Amino acid sequence: MDTKILASCKNASFGYDKKAVLSGVNLEIEAGSFVGILGHNGSGKTTFLRTFLGLIPAVRGKFAFGTADGRPPRFGYVPQKERLDPIYPLSVYNVAKMGTCRKFGIFERLRGINRRPLVERCLEDCGVLHLAHRPYSDLSGGQKQRVLIARALAAEPDLLALDEPLAGIDITTQKSILELLKSLKKRRHLTIMLVSHRVQAEKDLFSHILWCDEGAAVMGKSDDMLSFGRAGEVFREEL
Amino acid sequence: MIETITEILKPDFLLHNALCASVLMGVVCPLVGAYFVLRRLVFWGVALPQIAASGISFAFLLQGLGFTLLAGSEAQERHLAIIASALFTFAAIAMLLFMERKGKGAAEGRIGVFYALAWATSILFVSTNATGETEMTSLLRGEIIAISPHDFHIMLMFFALAGLAALVFQKEFLLVSFDRDMAVTLGRKVLAWEVLLYLLIGTAISLGVMTAGPLVTFGLLVVPPMAALPWAGGIMSLSLVAAALGGLSAFVGFYFSYAKDMPLGPVIICAACAALIISAGARKAYMLLARIKA
Repeated sequence: MDTKILASCKNASFGYDKKAVLSGVNLEIEAGSFVGILGHNGSGKTTFLRTFLGLIPAVRGKFAFGTADGRPPRFGYVPQKERLDPIYPLSVYNVAKMGTCRKFGIFERLRGINRRPLVERCLEDCGVLHLAHRPYSDLSGGQKQRVLIARALAAEPDLLALDEPLAGIDITTQKSILELLKSLKKRRHLTIMLVSHRVQAEKDLFSHILWCDEGAAVMGKSDDMLSFGRAGEVFREEL
Repeated sequence: MIETITEILKPDFLLHNALCASVLMGVVCPLVGAYFVLRRLVFWGVALPQIAASGISFAFLLQGLGFTLLAGSEAQERHLAIIASALFTFAAIAMLLFMERKGKGAAEGRIGVFYALAWATSILFVSTNATGETEMTSLLRGEIIAISPHDFHIMLMFFALAGLAALVFQKEFLLVSFDRDMAVTLGRKVLAWEVLLYLLIGTAISLGVMTAGPLVTFGLLVVPPMAALPWAGGIMSLSLVAAALGGLSAFVGFYFSYAKDMPLGPVIICAACAALIISAGARKAYMLLARIKA
């Protein structure tokens, strides 16, 4: 059976201010895959993800997207929760509703399209509908993460991209969030990319692994990557 | 007290325009000022009104040097001052944003330099122009009383537009302020929305400074949103509560200024600060009561 390639790049370099953090990157992301972007702190994982999402330009090369019109797929982005300032007086519902902002056309605004059912469904899928009226800034780390996943789902994405979703969260909550991602992937047929500096906790979850280390990035199927050169060494060290 | 309030609310009240201008500023400045507070740009709120005042001072300098392209009548002089004020404000916003994107040096330091330079030039530009010096002194003191019907109508038009845009586009402004990256991944034109937001901020500041001076403008940009923040459950409630508190502070300030014969601008700011203190105290009491009930 042919697998659909959602995105690919050849010999690309990613970094900031024209300085490459990752060079000579070749990869293909299959639709429906669960890609773990792994590596130590400062290895370029987040730089890769931010470039992939179009938040920063590539130093060299670019991504080609396998959509019908060649445009990027719909992204559902879950940033590191610490990036969001708690000064904003937003309820959980307000935060999740932001995911629907793609559709705020002037005519839709005038027609007053009701997005509440969509937002509530996403909150329910993530198990946080009962918190809808609570202030977002009052939530625990795990609850915030679930709300941010619900917000990303409200964008009705083809691809869910998560940046360090398990950082600063206790182990029980980490497990529950990983279970949530597994079940969302199955139910919504999502492609998922997840950045993590913790190799061991999530390695069984991924269908593919993009390993970033020492200015290079190597991608392969999860099983192959476990026995691949430097990546294999690091995996074994951690295991 | 009731007599005085009835008197100042009459349409034929001598200072009717000054009252309306004060309340209008009190309502509209917090609508854009809320984004200063949320984006933690309060120092911008200090520096930009002073930069706008420097622009007005520069207009006086031009007049003193004989550049009367737009100036001539008193109304044209004020048009020149408004244009210079807006140009200085927008140029400063563009420069501060450019430097912020470059990310070199401390942001507070850059704003401090702009503020110091703006203060110095506000004084220097009018140092050879006696009329300008008097006008600037009154502007820095926040004298709204002298506003003419013509100026009031210009202010009403632009402030109404700025206030309306701040309310209509608040979802977009909130999204690009709260999570710029998310906005990009949703395909929103982040730069365009940010430019529009800063245009509104620049317009409110330059017209506000022209009308009431930098002190009142800064105070009304920042203090009412801070007073409203503990009670807000969303950006709409923050905007509406801040606008209501700003308008109320302006009205109360106007009342005391008229009744006790005090300078209007500083009294408005004291009223806004009193609202902030009352709001913070009431919030603490409310939280304490809620805890006792629980």
